[in-house]
Amino acid sequence: MTASYVSNLTPAAPHEARMSFSGRGREFLRLLVTGSLFQIPTFGFYRFWLITKLRRHLWANTQVGGEAFEYTGTAKELLIGFLIALAVLTPIYLGYFILGIIAEEQKALASIPLVLIMYVLMHFASYRVRRCRATRTVFRGVRFWMKGSGWAYAMRAILWDIATMLTLGLALPWATASLERYRMRHTYFGSIQGSFTRSGWGLFKRGWWVWGLGMASILGALALLTYLDAIKAKNINIFGGVILLLPIPVVLALLPLVMAIFTRWQMEGLRVGEVAVSSNLAKGAFYGTFLKLIFSSIGFLLVFGVLFSLGGYLFVEKLQALQLGEISWETGSVIVLGALAYLALLLGMGIIQRYFMGRGLWAVVVNSITVSNLQAVNAAVAAGQPSGVLGEGLADALDFEIGI
Amino acid sequence: MADAVFYDGETARRRTVSLKIGASSLDLHEGDDWIASWPTGAVRRREAASGVLRLMLEGGPALARLDVTDPGDQASIRAHCARLELGEPKERTGRIIFWSALAAVSLTLCVVFLLPIVAERLTPLIPLSVERRLGTAVDNQVKFIFGGKVCDGTRGLAALETLSARLRASTDVGMETHIAVLESKIPNAIALPGGRIYLFKGLLDQAESADEVAGVLAHEMGHAAHRDSLRSLIQSGGASYLLGLLFGDVSGGGAVVIATQLLIDSAHSREAETAADAFAAQAMLALGRPPKAMGLLLKRIEGNEKKLPAFLSTHPVTDQRLKSLEQQAPAHTGEPLLSEEEWRALKEICKTS
Repeated sequence: MTASYVSNLTPAAPHEARMSFSGRGREFLRLLVTGSLFQIPTFGFYRFWLITKLRRHLWANTQVGGEAFEYTGTAKELLIGFLIALAVLTPIYLGYFILGIIAEEQKALASIPLVLIMYVLMHFASYRVRRCRATRTVFRGVRFWMKGSGWAYAMRAILWDIATMLTLGLALPWATASLERYRMRHTYFGSIQGSFTRSGWGLFKRGWWVWGLGMASILGALALLTYLDAIKAKNINIFGGVILLLPIPVVLALLPLVMAIFTRWQMEGLRVGEVAVSSNLAKGAFYGTFLKLIFSSIGFLLVFGVLFSLGGYLFVEKLQALQLGEISWETGSVIVLGALAYLALLLGMGIIQRYFMGRGLWAVVVNSITVSNLQAVNAAVAAGQPSGVLGEGLADALDFEIGI
Repeated sequence: MADAVFYDGETARRRTVSLKIGASSLDLHEGDDWIASWPTGAVRRREAASGVLRLMLEGGPALARLDVTDPGDQASIRAHCARLELGEPKERTGRIIFWSALAAVSLTLCVVFLLPIVAERLTPLIPLSVERRLGTAVDNQVKFIFGGKVCDGTRGLAALETLSARLRASTDVGMETHIAVLESKIPNAIALPGGRIYLFKGLLDQAESADEVAGVLAHEMGHAAHRDSLRSLIQSGGASYLLGLLFGDVSGGGAVVIATQLLIDSAHSREAETAADAFAAQAMLALGRPPKAMGLLLKRIEGNEKKLPAFLSTHPVTDQRLKSLEQQAPAHTGEPLLSEEEWRALKEICKTS
């Protein structure tokens, strides 16, 4: 009893607390595989339960000085969010369709205005998604929560997108800083308000050379093309296409680097009251995870390809019968097998992608973080309520994924 | 008893507490002060990092948590709190599968039984002007699929116009028709909503007389007059939209494309085909030309295209259909629909001069 009394007098948490991720890969993989398999007989509806389990696992294994977060959301909420999104989107789509018929101008496959509506909705939903997840995140028995408006955020995001496009991406650091500042200033931990202290200029100083490299590769390709055109080189049509494709691998190779720079800068700017965050995330920290992702995908595709061709070889007669239009139990089962193989391919790639891009990067980032002045959260008094799930539903229905 | 960590759910203060685990309650003390007693029956487990047993009190403060790390304490709690695992409403996978399957079955039943009725009732209610606009949208799709090559040989067009004018004079389609030839090797003809009719070059290639083409044209005019395409479009568009919902395609973006594809690929219902045949026979008889010519052409196409999979053959010609066309012979023989010269021009409508 004395021990606990003494520990109560001295601050329970040290001034600096390491963050750590303690989840076992095998456990996460088990959740992913079983959940993905359950998606087959449920026509995909199991995704809400799967994503909830994954989040619980990730949150519960993310610790600050040995104290873990907790995700309190439920699968049913996500399902309801999806249904609400259906109720919102269906009239929009139908209205758009009818308008298109009335306007009579509708060209084949033209859907630009609809894309614009979806684009605005996407920014709106991304804010609401964050709010939804924040309000379901609990630390030390106190909830995170958010104020702010999804529409106001979407307006800012759109203006910044325009600025970023006009400056060929140079405005991106300031855009990111401004949006993160909006998000963090409207984020609360109980009664303590969050903030974001890093500036766009700081990010620009860290990352301008990457932007330069990417730009140089594009400009270089264009210059080469103009040169070849000027000297009237042979086969310019063929080589031209190849040259224009050259910057793509360069940009792709720079992507993990850019992500690491952005993430570290973003983490280091996070504040909740006096609590500050620092990160020692190395610039190359994401390359390992990306390589693992690429090689597992290639390996999976190879194995799948071999199995698929074996299956095709075994069923070659049935396939020929199928091509002649024969409908029987045997050809029917070939169709079902084919559909299952296609599903297995989709689900397998999904599993690999989530394992590395979801869990893998998460673990790398969490393990790089040190939190200081953690004792300041002692003053936090519980506040805020779980927010609605429309954002999550929209994100699901519009098929864009924001993390896990 | 080892110490545990308690969060009261009201502040973020971390409180180190001592645990007394009894048969009826968990007693928490901070130093000498009593904090809380949790009845063992209401204690629930929450998801936590491995090695940590995280507890909450059912009916207590929603976010109050007790983290127990000592293995001995954990075992003792597991022994005493019988309803530890009831915290989360237990996931019943069977139920999720059941309801998902039920949703799928319900949507399928709607598609199979309800939609045809809806399409049947809705079709007469849709004004012609709307149908025409719908037709334009589908027309754009069709042109997109076939590369938009509409044949425009000047003399061929004139012959086509002569042929369709004679057919129009002998029937009542009830709407304006626009007839054109699409450059495509597939031997087919389609009627789009709003009276747009396409003959495919492949069909012209296999035709041996103007009567055969006229029969097909009259048959498609029959579809237009009966608004079969509009009905099909409502049905297949609705079906692909509903089934798309099931797999999460809310936009129905696929629906328009799939519906058009179905309109091109699949036959109308047996009744619709019979009715269009009857319409065509009527038109041909009025002109004093043999209705069976169309049947012969379709039969010939079917014979030539044996290699095509059965489900791709668009207008399945049963011998029965041919027979019923053969039974109707004109009482008097009218003059030929096209002169020999016009017929050649029509056959070569896709040749650019």
